[in-house]
Amino acid sequence: MRLKVWGARGSVPAPGPEMNRYGGNTSCVEITLASGEHIILDAGTGIRTLGLDLTSSPHVNILLTHLHLDHIQGLMFFPPCFRADADITIWGPASPEASLEDRVARYISAPLSPVEVRELPCDVSFRDTPPSEWQLGSATIRCEAINHRGPTLGFRITDGDTTLCYIPDHEPALGTVLADNEPEWISGYDLARDADLLIHDCQYADDEYPLHVGWGHSGMTDSLTFASRVGAQRLLLFHHDPLHADGFLDDLHAAARRRWAELGGDSASVEMAREGAVLDVEPVAAPAGISGA
Amino acid sequence: MERMAAQKPLELILARNLLTSISTPAFLVDQDAALVFYNEAAGALLGRSFEDVGRMSPEDWTSTYGPFKANGQPVELDELPTTRAVRDGRPAHAVFTIRSANGGKQEIESSAFPIVASEEGSSGAMIFFWPHDRSGRASP
Ligand SMILES: [Zn+2]
Ligand SMILES: [Zn+2]
Repeated sequence: MRLKVWGARGSVPAPGPEMNRYGGNTSCVEITLASGEHIILDAGTGIRTLGLDLTSSPHVNILLTHLHLDHIQGLMFFPPCFRADADITIWGPASPEASLEDRVARYISAPLSPVEVRELPCDVSFRDTPPSEWQLGSATIRCEAINHRGPTLGFRITDGDTTLCYIPDHEPALGTVLADNEPEWISGYDLARDADLLIHDCQYADDEYPLHVGWGHSGMTDSLTFASRVGAQRLLLFHHDPLHADGFLDDLHAAARRRWAELGGDSASVEMAREGAVLDVEPVAAPAGISGA
Repeated sequence: MERMAAQKPLELILARNLLTSISTPAFLVDQDAALVFYNEAAGALLGRSFEDVGRMSPEDWTSTYGPFKANGQPVELDELPTTRAVRDGRPAHAVFTIRSANGGKQEIESSAFPIVASEEGSSGAMIFFWPHDRSGRASP
């Protein structure tokens, strides 16, 4: 699997010269499967530039973790939406309150939008994520509800013998101590266990987290502890706070590497998500490079 | 890699986190009415912490802690407010006698609330306990 980060920012786009290296676009990750097919994770503002890159007759699957604006804002500016030859399937969490299409249409409708979903020239369909595994191209996808604010999913994508897990908005430490809680009681544990790459929320530095408990995001040490507990081989820290400029994220990265080493991991396997970065995800041979107690 | 039992559904995880954070004695049961957690306040009432006993089947926890009817007979599983909360997805309230680990008996009121997160029914229930108020005042 190959992965490209098109937006790594959380909450709200954060453009500006001080954000140039990590980028200001919100959550969007493109996965290229071994079979050549593409899966898009979230439709934050990063999906706009991804769409410019797509060539003729695109058929795309977009997996939405949830419908917070930073994960759907780019949809209305996704160039394939305005192409009659494009075929787009949008997957997202089911709700007893309204269909996925109706919930997304609250954004893509007047007065927030100049177009309505039904006016889009592309062939677009909305699908609730199924409760059991399903297949997209050569990949097996599984999702699970995880702890954030409002109904939110994480995704586990397995292609051949490689597994990636995407949990961009997650506060597994809320109301518990991650380091010693039993695995069955940790939000997202089963979804992320043994992933070759875990893409995980790291919105806050440790000293910022106490002021944001319950906001649905993780502090750096909690992200690392979660990754360590699930036995993730490689960790991509994601969903950067819009206040975190490049220099701050460099420092946070250095601190995360030190912390990961303290947890028994290889410091080189912790990376900071950066807009434009391309990563090849490969299976890591057992035994795990880092594993929990 | 850690060994683990089946992952709990998110709503049970959040319920446990809530119960951990409050000082009202409370039990958490899963969809099979097995006792999967009780908090420190309940541990104080029962004389043993959950960490000491671990998960208990409905038969195990009712034979250990009760509840018992006024005549001392154990309450049938089917009559338990927890069973009703889990099976019917309805809240239930009852007054019982329970037995702590040291054999002491205590009269309590309990309210069970089903935890329903999907159309497939409840995934468990939370049961809160209060010492029984014999003054005859209505419960809040
Ligand atoms: Zn977000
Ligand atoms: Zn969110």
